[in-house]
Parts: sequence; C-alpha cells; structure tokens
Amino acid sequence: MTDASVPVTQSAVESFAERYLRSLGCTIEQRGDTWDVSVPEGADTQSLPDEFTVVCGTESDSPEENTELLHPESRLLHELLDEAVRRTPAGRINLTSESTEIELPEWLRGGDVEVRNAEFAPYYDRSALVVLFRVSIETVSEYQREFLRVVALDARSGESLEGLERNFLRITSFTDDSPSGGQPSLGRENVRGLVDEGQRQVVDRVQDLIDEVHEEASRAADAEVEEFRQMQQQRIRELEERHESLSSKLDESRATIDASEQVERVEALKQRKQIKGKLEELTTELSDLRRRRDQGFPERQKEIRQRHALDVKVSPLTATQVEYERGEVEIELAEEGVIQPLTVGYGIGVGVTDTVQCTVCGREITSQNPLVSIIGEVNCDECH
Amino acid sequence: MGSYDLVDIEVSHESTDDLLASWDEGSDGDAHLLSVQAARLRAGRPDSELWSLKQLDENSVKMLEHQVDAAYRALFEMDGKALLADEVGLGKTIEVGMILKEMHFRETDDSVLVLTPAQLAKQWQAELREKFGLDFVCNYDDEFAGFDAHDYVIASIDTAKSERHRQTVLDRDWDVLVLDEAHYVKNEETDRYDLIDRLSYNYAFFLTATPIQNELTDLYNVVSLLRPGLFGTRDVFHHYFVNSNQETLVNRNELQERLSKVMIRNRREDTDIDFTDRTIDTRTFEPTPKERELYQAVTDYVKGAYSQDQGQKLVLMLLQKEVVSSPVALKQTIEKRLYEQSELGHTSELESILDLIEEVDTVTKQERLLEIVEEARNNVEMGRVIVFTQFRATQRQVLDRLASEGYTVHAFHGGHSSDEKEQIVEDFEEEGGILVSTDAMSEGRNLQFCNILVNLDLPWNPMRVEQRIGRVHRIGQKRDVFVFNMALKDTVEEYVLERLYHKIDLFQQSVGELSSILSRLEESGTSFEDEIFERLMNAGSEVDLENDFDAMAVDLREQRDLADKLEEFNSGVFEGFDLGASDD
Repeated sequence: MTDASVPVTQSAVESFAERYLRSLGCTIEQRGDTWDVSVPEGADTQSLPDEFTVVCGTESDSPEENTELLHPESRLLHELLDEAVRRTPAGRINLTSESTEIELPEWLRGGDVEVRNAEFAPYYDRSALVVLFRVSIETVSEYQREFLRVVALDARSGESLEGLERNFLRITSFTDDSPSGGQPSLGRENVRGLVDEGQRQVVDRVQDLIDEVHEEASRAADAEVEEFRQMQQQRIRELEERHESLSSKLDESRATIDASEQVERVEALKQRKQIKGKLEELTTELSDLRRRRDQGFPERQKEIRQRHALDVKVSPLTATQVEYERGEVEIELAEEGVIQPLTVGYGIGVGVTDTVQCTVCGREITSQNPLVSIIGEVNCDECH
Repeated sequence: MGSYDLVDIEVSHESTDDLLASWDEGSDGDAHLLSVQAARLRAGRPDSELWSLKQLDENSVKMLEHQVDAAYRALFEMDGKALLADEVGLGKTIEVGMILKEMHFRETDDSVLVLTPAQLAKQWQAELREKFGLDFVCNYDDEFAGFDAHDYVIASIDTAKSERHRQTVLDRDWDVLVLDEAHYVKNEETDRYDLIDRLSYNYAFFLTATPIQNELTDLYNVVSLLRPGLFGTRDVFHHYFVNSNQETLVNRNELQERLSKVMIRNRREDTDIDFTDRTIDTRTFEPTPKERELYQAVTDYVKGAYSQDQGQKLVLMLLQKEVVSSPVALKQTIEKRLYEQSELGHTSELESILDLIEEVDTVTKQERLLEIVEEARNNVEMGRVIVFTQFRATQRQVLDRLASEGYTVHAFHGGHSSDEKEQIVEDFEEEGGILVSTDAMSEGRNLQFCNILVNLDLPWNPMRVEQRIGRVHRIGQKRDVFVFNMALKDTVEEYVLERLYHKIDLFQQSVGELSSILSRLEESGTSFEDEIFERLMNAGSEVDLENDFDAMAVDLREQRDLADKLEEFNSGVFEGFDLGASDD
C-alpha cells in the first residue's frame, strides 16, 4: 500500500509555506532567501505575528529578533503544518477529462501491440471519498511507528478505487497544477459510513506492518522479562551466599557459647539471637524470591508486557470528495497491420474499471499476465 | 519467531466527529489542497540531506560514496542507533566524523562521549579535529578534568569503566555515544559490557570490522546493547538462528532483515575504492653456522623442557619466537630466567645457549635488512620504510644498527605516551627514514604515506600480520605496497611462512576473511599459535617437521570447506550489507 507522505525537501517546504501564507492573505516581499511577511488583520491564524521575516534554509546562525528560519526541521514549518492540517481538512476536487490524461492500463504496456488512439466517452458523474489516515503504533520501545495512508472509495458503491488513490497522491503532490475544487456535497452520514469503511480497510492493509512491530515489541518485552529474571537469579545467589555465611556464623556462635564463661556467654547468646533474627529474615526473603521465580514472576511479567503492549490508533486527517467522470474508453490497438478496437469501462482518475479476459483461455488480463497479441483473438501472455 | 509471548494489542479508531464538523462547514478547494499537502508533509521524512557536508574542507577529508551513504543511513534510517561494521580500511572513523559533524550542525550533540581502545584515543581526537573541525577533550590531555567537566570527551573505555570515573560517566545523560572496536564488549560478563549496558544516551554508533569474533552470540551481545530486544532473549536468539548441532545458520533471511535495521556493513569489493596493488616478497636467508647452531640448541631445549613441563608453554613459545627475531631478544629472556627467576632445572643448558648467543657475531636478518632499506633510500620518497618486530630488544638493536649506518630512524613501541606516538608518526612523515615499530602500532594508526613494510620477524598469529599490513595498505595509499618478509632457512619462520601463510593466502586476505578462518580454528579449542607450537614440539625429525607443517597447510586447504562454511556463514549473515538499501 502506498505511503502517502512526501519527502520534506527545502523546495517543498518553501513552496508550501509561500502558498499557505498567501492563502491567509499575507503579503510576501521576497529578497532572495529572505521574505518579509505581513499578516493582515483578522487573518485565520493563531501562530503568526503581524509582521516577521522568514529566512529560508539553515545558514543564519543567530537569527535576529522577529525572524524565523524556514527549513525541514524549523519551528515555523511545523507550526504552519499543524495549523494548515486543522484549517480545512474537508473539501472537494473535480477531475475532468479535459484536465486529466487518459491512463492506459498496465496490461497494455509491453508486447508488440501498439496503442494507436484512446478516447474517453463520459456517461455520468460519480463521487468518491478519499481519506488520509494517520496510523500510529504506540509502544514503549523504539519500535513505535507512525505512517500516513490513503484510501479511496466510491461514494455510492463503496468500491475501493486504487487507481484514484495513486492519482490523488500525484495531483496533491508539489509538482502538478492544482486541480479545481469547491464545496463538498456528499451527505454527512454517507461520509461517516465511508470513513468507517476506510478505517477498516486501512487496518487490513497495514496488518503486515502491525504484525512486524507486534513481534518486535514482544521480543523487546521478552528480553526485559529475561533480564529481570536474571537479575533476580543473581539476587537469589547473593542471598544464598549471605545465608550460608550467616549459618556458619550461627554454628560458630554455638561453639562459642558452649565454651564460654558466664559473662561472655551472655554476650554470645545476644549475638546468636541477632544472627538468628537476620537469618530468619533472609530465609523469608529468599524463599519468597524463589517462590516468585518458580512461578515465573507473574506480576512483573504482566507489568512489563503491559508496558510493551501495542496501541494502534487510526485517525482520519483529511477527507476529500472527488468528483470524477465515468464512462468508457475506446482504445485502438494495432499489431502488424491489424487494427482492433477495445472498449472498456473507465473512470477519470480511476483508470479502467472493467476486467478484460483473454478470448482464448478466459484468464483475466493483468499486469502480470498482459495482453500480447490481438491478431485473431485477444491473447494473454499465458496462452500465447 | 521462536517461543515468546506476544504482547497485547489494541486497535482503536479515532472519532470522525471533528472531520465531519469540518465537512459541514465547507471550504474552497485551494485551502483544502493545502491541508492535504500539509498532512502529507508532516508525515514525511525530514530532508534527506547531510547539510554539514558542504562545510567540510575537501583537502582535509575525502569522502567516499559508501561513507556518505553509511552516515546518512545511520542518522536517518536507523534513528541514530547503528552498528557500523565495514570491513577494515574502509573508513569507519570518517563515517562517524560525518555523523558527529551533522549532529553538531543540527545541534543535537550537547554531550558526546567517544570510547575507544586506549591506544586509539589520541588518534580519534586528532582526526575529528583535523578532518571535521570538532574539538574533543581526551582523557590523556592535561586539561581533562573528569567526565562531568567537558561536553565532548574521547576516552579509553578502560578509563571510563575504572573505579575512579565509572560513576561520573554513568551519572550523566549523554546525547551521543560512540564506541570504537565494539567487539571488545562482546562478552556480557565483562565490566566493559556492563558499563555500556548502564550508560544513558540518546544516540549511539558502534564500530567494528568483525562483529562476529567467534560465534553468533557475539553479534547478539553487541546488537542488544544498541537495540535491546531486537533479537529477543539470548536463548530464543540462539535456538532460532543457530543450528547448534551443525553450527550452521538457520533462518538467515530473517536474521539479515533484522540486522539491516541496525547494522551497516560495506565490503571492499562493493565499494568504488581503487586499492593499489600489494606485492609480497618473502626473502629466506641462509643463517650463519653459529645462528643455525643457536637455533638448534634453543629448539632442543624448548622441546626437552616442554616434554617435562607443559605448564611452561608460554615462555618456551616465546624463546622459540625470539631465536628467529634476534639473539639479543633471546638473551634477555634467558638471563631473566636464569638470574631473576632462579631457574633451577636446565641451568647448564641455558648457560650454554647464552654462550652460543655471545658467539653469534653476524645477525643475518639485520645485515640483509640493510639491503632493503638502502634500496628504499634510493628509490622511495624520503626513503620511508616501516620495519616491524615483535620484540623491544630486537627493535633497539636494529635502531642502533641503522643509525650507525647513517639512516634517519624513529622508534615506536607501547611504552610511549599517546602524545609521543602522535609525534613519532608525524616526525616519520616529515623526516622520512625508517620507522622501527613493535606491534603496538597495529590497531588504528594510519601510515599510508609509506608504502614499504618489512616484517623482520613474523608473528605466529596471522591476524597480527594483516594488522601490520593494514597500517599502510588502506584508503589514501596512492602507491603500490611492497611487503618484505624476512625468514631464516630451516626455521619455524620458514615453515610458518612458506608452508602455511602462503598456502592459506594470508598475504592477500582481508582481515574479515582471515578472522573467520581463525575463529573457526580457535573454536576447535586450540589457537593458531598453539597449533604451530604443538607441531614443532611433537615432530620426531626435521623431515617429520616439514611434513607436519605441509600436512597442516594441506589440512587447512583441504578443510577449506570448514573455512568456506564459516565464510558462507558470515556472508550469509552479512549478505546484502553492501552499499545498503536504496531510498525506496
């Protein structure tokens, strides 16, 4: 499943910051890497002063007052990003055949079959919902992770639109022209149902990653339990040694008592009592520790494993209604002078929506089993 | 994997209410696009650039692609906790220099502790200062006032673990820990291991060329210090990855995958480094009759004494090594045994050996050494030659002899302070001439400005031989390297050299390959040195001896499958650690 994050390069940072500030109504006077920014009164921002200077990059060692550095790890960038994500998480974009090129299916690329022409005939408009989900896997160890995933679903059928997911990421990257947009129009309950479905799908799709972290965290917990067990074992050994030494002292004190005169005897008896007391304490501690060891330190184990337990949170960050046209695309194929038209269901930004079968063997034609010939029949790779 | 209990897992879906509220409010498309882009940028990785590289002076440090790649991966893909395990000579110190420079640039290095073997501390300090402009205080500096008094400290690991400093080191939260020769902490029962285990740090970079010294558990211990829990418990690790009956590796792919999260290993063959050629010239000389007589007497003595008392093995082995190094080295040890330790038995034998030593008036090796250095004086820049010997007494005599012949000489041995050692290497570079060194030079110090090396005597431990050669044949060496091995005919050196070292291709092996063969041998219980000594002692006649060493060589070759197995084992473990994964 595609990662929806983008590399945080300096150029992406600058492009974003400039457009975001302008979208707030700010005026920006640029002098090379330095921007003088004025924020209009009443602008929809909590984090920016009325006027400030932005220095792009990290070159300035000691920024002057009212100057903010702008680079991938700068405070300013992170404030702008947080604010921007919260500002307009819901919206709509429109994909039309005028603004979007026809995307030929993977199974047509390669082989000797040539695509002469492709024409899209729109039949009706459809809506889809594209949601960016943040998946965070939290655990105490360093294995915790966070990633961003995209899910696109047809608003009416709930059908998953992988082609649209790819295209959505492309058109919302920093290289393409902005698509046209507008007010979202899907009903609230429809959106809720789609987001819920998206959440379920996203968990399914990142299950392998969750499993991986789950195993890593479990191993980390296991290692900690083992370390604790070894420490306790060491403690038991130390207590055993002390126990042994006190026992010998006790034996010695008995001998002293037997051989002593009255006064010394009283002193020796006192000492023996003390030793006996300590020995009893030690015996209790030791047997308690041994008992807990034999049981496998269940409480401690539980505590460690609870600490390493995984908390997977799936949060919808943005939801975009995508209006797209659905219809058919007629593809004109040619091979060694033979021309064969092929008509398949198609959605703008979504790609081919029908499956195509090999007319010889009936297998589905896919990127793994591409179309290789159209002479006589539509032939797949497997049976050609 | 294996038998461990899975921890609980809870999946929760955050509420969609906020999002739906925003849905109802509506928006224009552009503002929404910015929100989407902001969400995508916020989840993205920080800029994948090493910003500080531009600041480095290209004249001071030439960075190679694999080094930049390693620094990048250690910082950004391994979250600042990495085991840098390049083969010897690929510049691990440079990689760490780049990492520290970058962290300095990003101001994430308020306190840095670099722990190294004692003899390398000053070299680290000099390299970080000269190549990266990073100033560290070394524990051998006069200004060093304790581990809590400076923010950038380079120290020997043994100083750090000493009674005096240990608590101060542990009391501090270090931002960055660098541990050189990390295989020194492979044993979890040592104080060194304990120190690293208890240290508190945010980022750590461990360096070693030989992550597996003897067994896979070494790797477990080192990696577990860096990433506790990556491999689970020791028992689980062992049961899961090592087939103990056959000592083979199992579940290799998983081990590799796990290791790739924490370890970077570049191999010479995978880098774009153009190593110059290495020419080995083994010169075997006819000893004088007196030398031959002395050799025989010592060998007879050693054999006799060993058959009576095997407890004296070490000292007897020493005598056997010294007799081929120089009579003067031998003399010192024998006198010690006779006069200081009141040797009771064999007195007359030892005294007669002393007499024989006195009778040796020509030391063949030293005479022939003059030919090599003279050739170098005429043909090599500033006549620079490094002569290695194992013994101080030999070193002194060689130095005197060379000086008396008018050569510029430099001495390097373990008795010098770190500052003195720095100075000696500097003098040698500037003044040229001949540096006569003991194996105290072996680890870490770089002498690539010199390309002629003479092994006046040969260590019985082949790793030492390669360590010597590695001082000159490394990155930065622009010329072909010439290694001269000097041996006396019909002596143990000749056997070791001719019959063994050449047959196991010692002089063309890299340390990584060699160590795997040796670890294999040592796992069987005896060291390489012991093996040689035992054969020397047990051979009945000269012919037997020759045959015996031949057999050992053949044995080594024929048992190549053992070494191959180990090689396979190592490359199995480390396969894929070439130049690292791509950024995909």
